[in-house]
Amino acid sequence: MPIKRIEVRERVMARNDELAAVVRRTLEEAGVLALNLVSSPGSGKTRLLEQTLADLGDELRMAVVTGDVQTSNDAERLARHTDRLVQAVVTNGACHLDARQVGEAMGALDLNETDLLFIENVGNLVCPASWDLGESEKVVLFSVTEGEDKPVKYPKMFAKASTAVITKTDLLPYVPFDLNRARRFLHQTNPDLRLILVSALGGTGLEHWYDYLRSRVHVVGVERRNRHTA
Amino acid sequence: MHELSIAMEICRITEEAVGPDRLGDVIEVGLDVGVDADVVIDNLEFCLEALLAGPPFGRGRPVIASRPGDDLRVTYLEVDDADQTN
Repeated sequence: MPIKRIEVRERVMARNDELAAVVRRTLEEAGVLALNLVSSPGSGKTRLLEQTLADLGDELRMAVVTGDVQTSNDAERLARHTDRLVQAVVTNGACHLDARQVGEAMGALDLNETDLLFIENVGNLVCPASWDLGESEKVVLFSVTEGEDKPVKYPKMFAKASTAVITKTDLLPYVPFDLNRARRFLHQTNPDLRLILVSALGGTGLEHWYDYLRSRVHVVGVERRNRHTA
Repeated sequence: MHELSIAMEICRITEEAVGPDRLGDVIEVGLDVGVDADVVIDNLEFCLEALLAGPPFGRGRPVIASRPGDDLRVTYLEVDDADQTN
């Protein structure tokens, strides 16, 4: 049997990375801050977003693309807190969002009327770390019920994030979560990581989260104006 | 779990390289997988074996080389060229 050998040498993630670059460029041109929220399932991404949409909806123009393996439950929850479009992406079994899905979902959003895009990734601390979505920053969440060693168990995700949010801090009196140990693990994994502690249910720490959002939206807006005047 | 997504992307790259009409002729898909690429090689191999054994493929098999670093790359394809040389 004659066999033909074809040299390929193509990176498997090349296509996704090209699409992510298009997403990133589109967002930058529109001056939109895009945060890719990643965590294990049940850490409170949707709850934090619900509260954020409710509290900052009059101040910031926010849009959401939310990914789930099945159901649009999260999108329906979030839509109750905003008049703006919440885009649901059902991955049908895939354990992460990819840049194509985000690019397509963004097509339905008016980016010129948007300051901040939340991309709520599928709950998973492994797979989403490998897929660039074109976001401005990754924000990794973990709750006090999960154990403080998450950063050293899933170092790639924490190394790639700009910000870590420890959630459900209202449960701290009831669970054996050592905050100092968590800080140490976070610093060990990524010394530049910004740390925010919140309880979306109780309201504690939300102002720090909101200040972070406001400051990053401001910086992205300034960068866009500087590009346009340059 | 994302090994299945990666395997599907490898199939897409294969289709792009040989064309949709020749997927049944693919007999080997060569890959470099870095030890830091966050890929479980056994899982990826399992997913690829399943995909390459069924239509539109049928008789392909993955040949995976573990490498240092985080590269993840389709390196070569081997294709039964009998129909093209007759």
